[in-house]
Amino acid sequence: MACNSISEAAERLVQTALGRGFEEAAVQINRSNSVMVKLANSEISVVQRWSTLAVGLYLAKEGKILLTEIHPANLEQANRLVERAVSAAAQVRPSMLYAPLPEPAEVEPLDLVDSSVVKAMEDPSTLAETLLSATSAADRVAGALTLSYVERGLANSKGAKLEEAATGVEAYLRVFIGEASGQWSYGSRKLSIENVKQTAETALELAEMAKGEPKQIEPGVYDVVLSPMVVGNLMNLVGMMASALSVLMGSSMFARTEPGSKVASEKFSLIDAPRNSELLGSASFDDEGQPTQNKPIIENGVLKTLLHNSKTAAKFGTKTTGNAGMMFPRAWTLSIPPGDSALDEMVRELKRGVVITNNWYTRLQNYVEGIFSTIARDAAFYVENGEIKHPVTRIRVADRLPKLLSNIELLGRDLYDISWWEVNPAVRAPYIMARGIGISRPFV
Amino acid sequence: MQEDLLQKCLDLALRLGASYSEARYHRHIQTSIFTRNGEMVGYGEALKEGVGIRVIVDGALGFSATNSLDWSSAEEAVKRAVKLAKAHSKLMKNPIKFADARMGRAKYEVACSKPFDSLDIEGKHSILVETWDRVKGSVKDAKVMTLTARYGEEIEEKTLINSDGAYVVSRIPRLSVGYNFVLLHPQKGTLQRSRAFGGSGGLEQLDAWRMPEKAAEEAERLERVLLEGVEPPKGPIDVIVGSEIVGLIVHESCGHPSEADRIWGREAAQAGMSFIKPGMLGQRIGGKYATVIDDPTIPGSYGFYLYDDEGVPARARYLYKEGMINEHLHNRWTASVFGTTSNAAARAMDHNSEPIIRMANTYLAPGDYTFEELLEEVKLGVYMGSYMEWNIDDIRWGQRYVGLECYLVENGNLTKPVRNPVLEVTTKSFYSSIDAAGKELRFEPGTCGKGEPSQGVPVWFGGPDVRLRGIPLGVVG
Repeated sequence: MACNSISEAAERLVQTALGRGFEEAAVQINRSNSVMVKLANSEISVVQRWSTLAVGLYLAKEGKILLTEIHPANLEQANRLVERAVSAAAQVRPSMLYAPLPEPAEVEPLDLVDSSVVKAMEDPSTLAETLLSATSAADRVAGALTLSYVERGLANSKGAKLEEAATGVEAYLRVFIGEASGQWSYGSRKLSIENVKQTAETALELAEMAKGEPKQIEPGVYDVVLSPMVVGNLMNLVGMMASALSVLMGSSMFARTEPGSKVASEKFSLIDAPRNSELLGSASFDDEGQPTQNKPIIENGVLKTLLHNSKTAAKFGTKTTGNAGMMFPRAWTLSIPPGDSALDEMVRELKRGVVITNNWYTRLQNYVEGIFSTIARDAAFYVENGEIKHPVTRIRVADRLPKLLSNIELLGRDLYDISWWEVNPAVRAPYIMARGIGISRPFV
Repeated sequence: MQEDLLQKCLDLALRLGASYSEARYHRHIQTSIFTRNGEMVGYGEALKEGVGIRVIVDGALGFSATNSLDWSSAEEAVKRAVKLAKAHSKLMKNPIKFADARMGRAKYEVACSKPFDSLDIEGKHSILVETWDRVKGSVKDAKVMTLTARYGEEIEEKTLINSDGAYVVSRIPRLSVGYNFVLLHPQKGTLQRSRAFGGSGGLEQLDAWRMPEKAAEEAERLERVLLEGVEPPKGPIDVIVGSEIVGLIVHESCGHPSEADRIWGREAAQAGMSFIKPGMLGQRIGGKYATVIDDPTIPGSYGFYLYDDEGVPARARYLYKEGMINEHLHNRWTASVFGTTSNAAARAMDHNSEPIIRMANTYLAPGDYTFEELLEEVKLGVYMGSYMEWNIDDIRWGQRYVGLECYLVENGNLTKPVRNPVLEVTTKSFYSSIDAAGKELRFEPGTCGKGEPSQGVPVWFGGPDVRLRGIPLGVVG
């Protein structure tokens, strides 16, 4: 089926829904093919291939909202779900979020397809070999390489009818030398074999640096240098909290903060960058058919905007920011403008500090106050008077996100496109240095 | 009809050179309701179905999935799984093999005494409205800033066959409800709580859960924590860890590190590894109270199943037994690697997911103390009843739990509320410090994440209240 036929199929479903008495309907159809090679112990643990058809229906009547998400065996099955929705609509109460779908607006297309990704999907073993051969000096490696091609078609009862195709590449590798390890990742719309290789080499380099007996450090307050892997993970959280629906649901540290307020160091900005076609997650239109736009969420430390669809925008008395989600506005892909520091310059600024190159398992005690902790994994180092002294055992950053954002003092001049298991949506980020952050470890 | 399609997939894979093939039809039908402060946000329905095919070709493992149920799509999926496995077999150092296992041939279904369609949408919604009304009315000085509540039901249906003779058909309905509220006080700040109830079966479970009443009772107690909470005492003290936290601890620090694929390094770049290394069976990890069981066969449990997704009959697994590392969680591949037999831990989230090693219902074995007896001998301590923040490192050794509803224990009695105490311990220090366990076993539901792409599967985790001796607590700064 050609790309335009899925938007036509979406349009037919819209008509079916309107014919069954719904006042508004929006349909999004995603047809995707993807392949993933998973590596462990320097060999292939599994190769996976998916062919998926996913249909999302938004149906509204008298202020009631019904959402249906199906992975149907065929599109006729989607018609039957519209029938089911008719009987549900009679029982559902109106939604506190209801607002009419927005009028269609002109969408400038983006070039999001790299044909070399589609070609590589036929047999990704060469790319897997690239990852393995670049790290042959390691004791063992693990990771994953994913290639995807997704067609997206959208139609709604306001007359929007849009299509877009996009490719994706994600590669990440964890490299072990003895007990030491390093991990790095890469995500893009375009395939660069050089970047895939560089990902493996960076992970190897970090593992090399982390060799030697790791030592414990005392819990306390330290200056920290966080790698783009860590920044990516934490900014995913900030991006999610910037969704206006997170604010409404009490799941955001911006719940008591108005746009225009200072929320971070003036050196720090965070951009939602869907129109940067290199970045994994980029898109030209949102789930309401509105054009996407690059925009600062935080600019020079000031909260500029929450992320809206037309429903949250109506609730907040503002305009959509092109971040729909039918219900949940979300960041497409995040980007942090660089600073002017080299990594070694940032490390030299630490009197008593730690460098953390990877993390995972970030959890919050309280979203409204941003009380969180996250655990370092892979290469992490104790720094004294600007010199790396030794690797450290698995420490924990335990503090408040607003404080971390406010205490950012330096940003690296190099940017990295990060995407992996713990960073989704993808983030383009530099290293950052922040002062006075809580570090913890088990007491007993 | 699906059985014919699955059989054709198996046969084709074998003809194309697979030494093993497996085909699974998997369907989820879900309904959800989401509210904020009692008002409807949205009503959702979801249907996901398709076929997942797994093959071993020349020692490499291939998986392919499609949600088109016509033969040409399924045929294409089989061909791709075989082709990709074959192409990558040149990179295999240790060919994948499956250990022999007794294959299930069965059909089973979880019965509901109150099916989902015995209550209309309005009736389901009204549970969430009542939760808001009761919570709002339960606090006096604080304000309920927001309360979100959700209702979710699903029916999971599977037909699994493989080339070793498995034939398993199952139908499992599951229900879950939950809430998340933020209490706000102008001077004391905010406090946030999230809680869920879940199990397999129908609406009859709602009567036992009593979510609106329990949410209101909890909000009333947590208001006191927000307004009157004090810092935990400094220095080593006795800590009574509540069942809710004990369940999470055993899930994180026994269940996960006992997954044999993790021990072998298959998840090293994602969910991590394990402090347990091959050959550590029989080594000591704690005291006599450290008995942790994972049992998929508990009736009504959220992680219930009778046969795993490789067709192996399920049974209880004693992961830690009286302080010793006793048994790992295995699928047929790790059973082959470790020279043992599968104990039926292979689960797939949906048709798009390969079966991987998962927990089901993990719990610490109960002891024989009443709650009052656990407190009785404590001069100065803290009771940690619930939590919000937690995490554990990627080898499942160093872990942290931040208490939410917590109280000082003074001379055997619960006294003042304690705000945000931090239990940060190693796995061994936790299991070695338990000196008494309660007799009441309770479970909490969760969705456990693992795999690449990440798969969330329903689990229960549980245990009794336990007493730890001589533990220093931290506090959120």
